[in-house]
Amino acid sequence: MKKKLSILSLVLMLLLVSMPGLTMKVQAEETEQKEFRVGMEAGYAPFNWTQNTDENGAVPIQGDKSYAGGYDVEIAKIIAEKLGRELVIVKTEWDGLPPALQSGKIDAIIAGMSPTEERKKQIDFTDVYYESNLVMVIRADSDYADAKSLEDFSGAKVTAQLNTFHYTVINQIPGVQMQEAMDNFAAMRVALESGTIDGYVSERPEGVTAESVNPKLKMIEFSAADGFQTSPEDTAVAIGMRKGDPDVAAINEFLAGISKDERVKIMDEAIKNQPASDEDSGSPILKILKQNGMLFLRGTGMTMFLALAGTILGGIIGLLVGVYRTIPMSEKKGKRASQKLFGWLLNVYIEVFRGTPMIVQSAVIYYGTALLFGFDLNRTAAALFIVSINTGAYMSEIVRGGIFAVDKGQFEAAQALGMTHGQTMRKVVVPQVLRNILPATGNEFVINIKDTSVLSIISVTELFFQGKSAAGANYMFFQTYFIICVIYFVLTFSITRILRLVEKKLDGPEAYAPLAEEE
Amino acid sequence: MSEIIKVEHLKKSFGQNVVLKDIDLTVNKGEVVTIIGSSGSGKSTLLRCINLLEKPDDGKIYYKNENVLEPNYNLPKYRTHLGMVFQQFNLFNNMNVLENCMTGQVTVLKKSREEAKQTALENLKKVGMERFIDAKPSQLSGGQKQRVAIGRALSMNPDVMLFDEPTSALDPEMVGEVLKTMKNLAHTGLTMVIVTHEMAFARDVSDRVIFMDKGVIAEEGTAEDIFVNPKEKRTKEFLHRILNSDNN
Ligand SMILES: Nc1ncnc2c1ncn2[C@@H]1O[C@H](COP(=O)(O)OP(=O)(O)O)[C@@H](O)[C@H]1O
Ligand SMILES: [Mg+2]
Repeated sequence: MKKKLSILSLVLMLLLVSMPGLTMKVQAEETEQKEFRVGMEAGYAPFNWTQNTDENGAVPIQGDKSYAGGYDVEIAKIIAEKLGRELVIVKTEWDGLPPALQSGKIDAIIAGMSPTEERKKQIDFTDVYYESNLVMVIRADSDYADAKSLEDFSGAKVTAQLNTFHYTVINQIPGVQMQEAMDNFAAMRVALESGTIDGYVSERPEGVTAESVNPKLKMIEFSAADGFQTSPEDTAVAIGMRKGDPDVAAINEFLAGISKDERVKIMDEAIKNQPASDEDSGSPILKILKQNGMLFLRGTGMTMFLALAGTILGGIIGLLVGVYRTIPMSEKKGKRASQKLFGWLLNVYIEVFRGTPMIVQSAVIYYGTALLFGFDLNRTAAALFIVSINTGAYMSEIVRGGIFAVDKGQFEAAQALGMTHGQTMRKVVVPQVLRNILPATGNEFVINIKDTSVLSIISVTELFFQGKSAAGANYMFFQTYFIICVIYFVLTFSITRILRLVEKKLDGPEAYAPLAEEE
Repeated sequence: MSEIIKVEHLKKSFGQNVVLKDIDLTVNKGEVVTIIGSSGSGKSTLLRCINLLEKPDDGKIYYKNENVLEPNYNLPKYRTHLGMVFQQFNLFNNMNVLENCMTGQVTVLKKSREEAKQTALENLKKVGMERFIDAKPSQLSGGQKQRVAIGRALSMNPDVMLFDEPTSALDPEMVGEVLKTMKNLAHTGLTMVIVTHEMAFARDVSDRVIFMDKGVIAEEGTAEDIFVNPKEKRTKEFLHRILNSDNN
């Protein structure tokens, strides 16, 4: 099914390959357990999606107040029951699935994942639990509505999703006008409706959904002989397990017990139940809000928490670092050497965190701690740590500027009163630095509100992550992301205004009315 | 007369620039000493060396017969005995007038806030700023700022007050109020060392006048000695120059 391979997952894979011993260690530590922890995006309907209630047999998502439903969830339920273990659904970003499995954060990936050769190097796969076929999605009113075979698409402008095998099969169509690959299905649907393209290659479940969500679209299915030639590596999906996991054999047995008819039935149910196929109740925006309002609200809460707490903690880090750097060099040789070393370490910290993307830091820290130390960081704690340490690096420089802005005369005046360096900093300099850096700190806060969206890489349930899973379930990408966009804007805009007011208030009036003369 | 400060063979250079060559100076209790001389002659550096805002290269500085350049001498405590008033006021911008005068007492002298407040109010009264205790420095004029700065230094109850051109950064109409404040202080018997370009004022308040030129004390004497009967050619030239430019 999904075969997207991002740079990031490659990096993580490399990290994993280079530490095989550690992977084994994590594995050994949790042989005996009662839970069957299954990782999925919960945002790839009809295989898996997120919903607000437990209707249609949805299962609670760990650490969140929402539920996961879909074909994968149904399969996971069957397997967990047969294994005699309790099913736990761990909502995990697509790129985070293999590392989460290898670091022992989950026991299995049931996420519509195809068992490619590439992936098989890192993880084991069970037998196939669903096989799909490729279809073309076109406009219902176009000349291609009655197409039966690939030949009928000669001359058509066709595209598919970037980095998928869907795109590579396009040239099997004789005389096709192959278009640039696109990033996501939303974009392709818009392109199709507007006539920029005549069709896109997709898989049956997505095609069924597209048709049902948008009546202007139509899915063309092909018979085996007239359609795309594909390898099972692409169209099959299997369950990913840790290398050498003894449960694979048992699970294969359970899978064999689910007949082909049963699979089709489960898939059709899933397609029927997926959030996108709800009865149309007026405006799509309202519908999305009705379905995901609580989800977005919780996401907003998480985003604000991470941004605010991260900015405050980062501010404290920045202040400590900034003030430390002002300490005069000691006269004693030994002390001076350690001062220099520590100062150098601080510079390294600042350079490294300012010089690398937060998204990469998140992945390295979150999965790295699990791999290297067998230590399972709480996702929210990890996210807070990453935001704080990142903000801290930026704030150190801002604080440095804020200290420079306090004129040297005030340092000297404090010194002349007999204050030590520490007293001068505490009483005179830091209070002014706090005021000086307030605008920049507010700016960092606003940036953090936006930038915490990259933490979706470690599956923190912040606003963007919730938006992504909502869009993955309802297939209304534009509308969903538009809502998310509006929420972000409202947040940042109101925060900016509030900060302006606070600054004004702090500065006080310009003139001073002297007290009345005493008798 | 008892010596409070005694400077011997003081030397200070900034890189190649020899700023103080061989300074000997004594300040006695209750004395008002003014230091005059052209710009760049080392007056500020001398004052800053006395309270060790600059570290002298060589020489000795005694405070009540103790050498303050001894390695383990308690510097912060020494500085509390010297009040410093800067050309640029250097008030703490994060504090109001009262807090400016209290913070040193509370933080360094470890006085209670109540006691510190009483002392601060007394001294603000001396400089005529008691009606502005809640004002922030940004809300004050230059002359008012400098009077608060004097009040702040006085609140530490120092043995000696050091003034480094306290009126040079002020608009002309504000010079008078600050000089008047200082004159009042001089009459209370406070020990003061004042670097100034205000010759009339210097002549008026000084027990002793020191003329500095190119890093040395060129001439020293009573106000009359220096202003009426200067001996050195350099002193005469300096006075001639400065008095003429004043009349312009
Ligand atoms: N911190 C410093 N670094 C380098 N040179 C300095 C410094 N402070 C003063 N100087 C130099 O020392 C000389 C004397 O300065 P200063 O004591 O301020 O003179 P005055 O107060 O008499 O005008 C000047 O040439 C000045 O440039
Ligand atoms: Mg000077």
